[in-house]
Amino acid sequence: MKDLIRIRDVSVRFYTYEGVVHAIDDLDLDIRQGETLGIVGETGSGKTMTALAILRLIPYPGRIESGSIVFVDRDLDSEIELLKLSEDGMRAIRGNKISMVFQEPGAALNPVYTIGNQISEVYLLHRRQELAKRASERLDKLLRDGDGFAAGIRRPFWRWQRRLYGKISRESNSIEPRLLGRLPWFRRLLHRLNDEATLLTVDMLKDVEIPDAARVAVHYPHELSGGMKQRAVIAMALACSPELLIADEPTTSLDVTIQAQMLELFRRIKTDKGASVLFVTHNLGVASEVCDRVAVMYAGRLCEVAPVEEMFLNPLHPYTKALLDAVPMPGKELKTIPGALADALNPPTGCRFHPRCPSAKPVCQQERAKLKEVSKDHMVACHLY
Amino acid sequence: MSDWKFTARQLVKNPLSLVGIILIFIFVIIAIFAPLIAPAPAYRDPYLIPRDGYSATPQPPSEEHIFGTTEGQYDIFYGVIWGTRSAFRVGLVVIGIVVAIGIVLGSLAGYFGGVIDEVIMRITDIFLAFPALILAMAIVTIMGPSLRSVMIALTIVSWPSYARLIRGDILQVREEDYIEASRGLGASNARVIMRHALPNAIYPTLIMASLDIGAVVLAAAALSFLGLGAPEGYADWGQLTSFARNWIVGPSSDPLKFWYAVTIPGLFIFFFVMGWNLLGDAFRDILDPRLARR
Amino acid sequence: MLLLIPVLFGVTVFIFGITMLFSPIERASLYVRSARQMGQLPQIIATYGLDRPFWEQYGTWLNQVFHGNLGWSQVVGMPVWDAIWHFLPATLELAIFATPLIIILGIFFGTKAAAHKDRPVDHATRVAAIAGWSLPTFWVGLVLLMIFYGLIRGFLPPERLSHPMNLLVNSADFVRYTRINTIDAILNLNGAVFLDALRHLILPVVTLTIVQMAFIMRLMRSSMLESLGKGYVLTARAKGLAERVVVNKHARRNALIPVITVSGYVFAGLANGVVITETIFAYKGIGWWAANAAIRLDIAGVLGFALFNAVLFVIVNLVVDILYTRVDPRVRLGGSVQ
Repeated sequence: MKDLIRIRDVSVRFYTYEGVVHAIDDLDLDIRQGETLGIVGETGSGKTMTALAILRLIPYPGRIESGSIVFVDRDLDSEIELLKLSEDGMRAIRGNKISMVFQEPGAALNPVYTIGNQISEVYLLHRRQELAKRASERLDKLLRDGDGFAAGIRRPFWRWQRRLYGKISRESNSIEPRLLGRLPWFRRLLHRLNDEATLLTVDMLKDVEIPDAARVAVHYPHELSGGMKQRAVIAMALACSPELLIADEPTTSLDVTIQAQMLELFRRIKTDKGASVLFVTHNLGVASEVCDRVAVMYAGRLCEVAPVEEMFLNPLHPYTKALLDAVPMPGKELKTIPGALADALNPPTGCRFHPRCPSAKPVCQQERAKLKEVSKDHMVACHLY
Repeated sequence: MSDWKFTARQLVKNPLSLVGIILIFIFVIIAIFAPLIAPAPAYRDPYLIPRDGYSATPQPPSEEHIFGTTEGQYDIFYGVIWGTRSAFRVGLVVIGIVVAIGIVLGSLAGYFGGVIDEVIMRITDIFLAFPALILAMAIVTIMGPSLRSVMIALTIVSWPSYARLIRGDILQVREEDYIEASRGLGASNARVIMRHALPNAIYPTLIMASLDIGAVVLAAAALSFLGLGAPEGYADWGQLTSFARNWIVGPSSDPLKFWYAVTIPGLFIFFFVMGWNLLGDAFRDILDPRLARR
Repeated sequence: MLLLIPVLFGVTVFIFGITMLFSPIERASLYVRSARQMGQLPQIIATYGLDRPFWEQYGTWLNQVFHGNLGWSQVVGMPVWDAIWHFLPATLELAIFATPLIIILGIFFGTKAAAHKDRPVDHATRVAAIAGWSLPTFWVGLVLLMIFYGLIRGFLPPERLSHPMNLLVNSADFVRYTRINTIDAILNLNGAVFLDALRHLILPVVTLTIVQMAFIMRLMRSSMLESLGKGYVLTARAKGLAERVVVNKHARRNALIPVITVSGYVFAGLANGVVITETIFAYKGIGWWAANAAIRLDIAGVLGFALFNAVLFVIVNLVVDILYTRVDPRVRLGGSVQ
């Protein structure tokens, strides 16, 4: 499989009031085309930060300090260094080639705008030319088929509109439509773009299995249930058929039955759309259901990466083993991982996990382990190997 | 109580609040040492500004009168120094009483709910239906103009906001588990309110109170300016400024001739109120849970 | 909303209760309709039963109020009701110019400060807001007069109109439709009066704006900061929207909601500020009337003004509540989709 995203030596640091926090420490990770890669870890492991780093949405006071994130664009058949891209270039990618779904769907949706409005926004932003082309074609149809007195009067107007939309569809930055868009009343003349966007929106909502999509589109977020909101957010992310969909704990805030439906949806996304998915979660069970490969992170560092079955049958890193052991099973004694999470401000030296590791050796305190391929496609960062 | 220490540290680090604290500190010093800075003539009420003659025309700053004199030859310097004491008196007394009333009524309303709550809320609604200064004006008119009337009027006008604020906070806190826990342990209502509910609900009230000291002093100054507060010749900043009304514009050769009569008392009001506002604003920023720690 | 009725009722009882603190002779001015009647106070006392029990008197008084008789204002020598409507247009004129300025400038600077948090714009705006809020209204008015009327001789004068314009406006050549000078000037197609009125308006409007704007600025800033921290802002950025769109379209609309609820208080602040401002600039609006009434112990005038304001304030709050439901979809009545 070919690579889609190559993350090399990426570090993210937060310059807080109390000190510098290494949220991500020299991370190396690949996301391949068409695969669903899961990142598993506890709170503070850096998994959310990894997701945000790809889109360069790290909030202040954090900064991406070093490294490279290469995005292989299939359509353009080129490799783009995301960390060196201009902000304009980045914005063309966000929501378009790479999009993101967040943990709390209720918080992700703006309460004062309708669902349809928020999803259409994506189309209007990234697919303007296509919308204009469709509008122009629709006008063509009107001009051909329309007859009667009313049609006759509006004909010249339609012709003018077709010219306008035709212009937009060819070069999106021409003066006339841009000027019109800014002026208060004249903005209405571009309404056909909104109409086309709404049609696409309703289609998208149907795609994510929201019942009665047309009606839902005119509703406000607070009028929807949690599961529906999350579907709407997913629809928003998939609107422009991105090559990578990043999902940050998308099922965590939902109840279990909805969770199952959501995972089914993600599986379908994989098969139908052919997009890669970066699935961030702290729940191993969820990861096993939906991911092809799983990466385990601890305290900002990558511990282990392997195909999902291999990971669960044959975990190599002590932290992975401990995580799997800690999963409660009926009849089994409840095992916890001794010790406390690594202090973000003063992390342990060498391997971050060594204070809690049952197999710790003296070298673990001094040196950080490098990522090594131990068996086929199975990489570990541990001094045991 | 390390919360307080953290808050105090934050207050000092923030440049704006530091300026506020310094300003207030300066005024406190002035107020405490007023008798030394501007000695009162013997056997007189120190709040009566001494007059140097009876001429109506204000005199510019000189060696004898550091800030000059205003209409009627009242010494401005003396007036603003002792006016600091008046300002503190008005501000602290009014806010003190208002917070006390607010705590009592607000706690009763918030904690017990039901009819008590409804009645108290309707009463506050009635008071809050009036713009503050206008109601205060009406009350002062009825009681006869004096500084005492102003303080009473401002107290009557301000308490409803605090009662509502504390009620709201108690309502929030009431649902928390530790309240039920202490009730389960058999604590009496009064004890629960005083030891558990109030200390946690008090922060927004403190913010508002520190901001309001400035607002109260401003309102009192406005009322005195109109002539509804301190009597003529009393050491009060608003009163001093009202003298300047006739002297805004000097003769055409020197239009700003009487600037000192207008500007100086006003500056004192401005800096005093600003000090409290800076402090209150910084307080608000610090106690805002979202912005507190990064 | 139905709760307003008991509140209004309570307001009237409260006002009336205050009047009961006075002797019957003093109270009589609340019922007087003309100058002649002022000389016949004993008869007034008898007619309106001013020595009867509380509730009877309250009923009588309330009855009079509903008939538009709020008493006689000595200070201006006309019935209180007439005085209110006589002086209101002037204050309305101030309000018409000041309110949009306050709201627009406050929102603009508040948004800028929040969007550039902790940078120079933010600090400058915050200090300006706090300074503005700390300024005594009367002092600002005096200083502005000192500079713009005194120093720059007669550039921006007090009162509503200069003397010759005043004569013109009151003469037969000028039709006063609304008694709001600027609007009347436009309706009369008289540019000179319009400009003169504007010239007299500038200082009072600026005085009012400086203090009130600070309040809105501060509120807008904190509201924006809260809005910018919300999840939908991050989502908007993740969609690839330009920062300007994120701030203006997504964050600001939500941030405006608390500001709207507070606009009732802007009205109250104006009502307060107007009393002082009009006094300083000898601008004869209701604030000027009320301040004079207070100083001269014109009870009917002061209470009439207070009552008027209370009723107005309650109405404004009602309007704000309705506005609020229009702006925030969560508050509207309606079902949900499951």
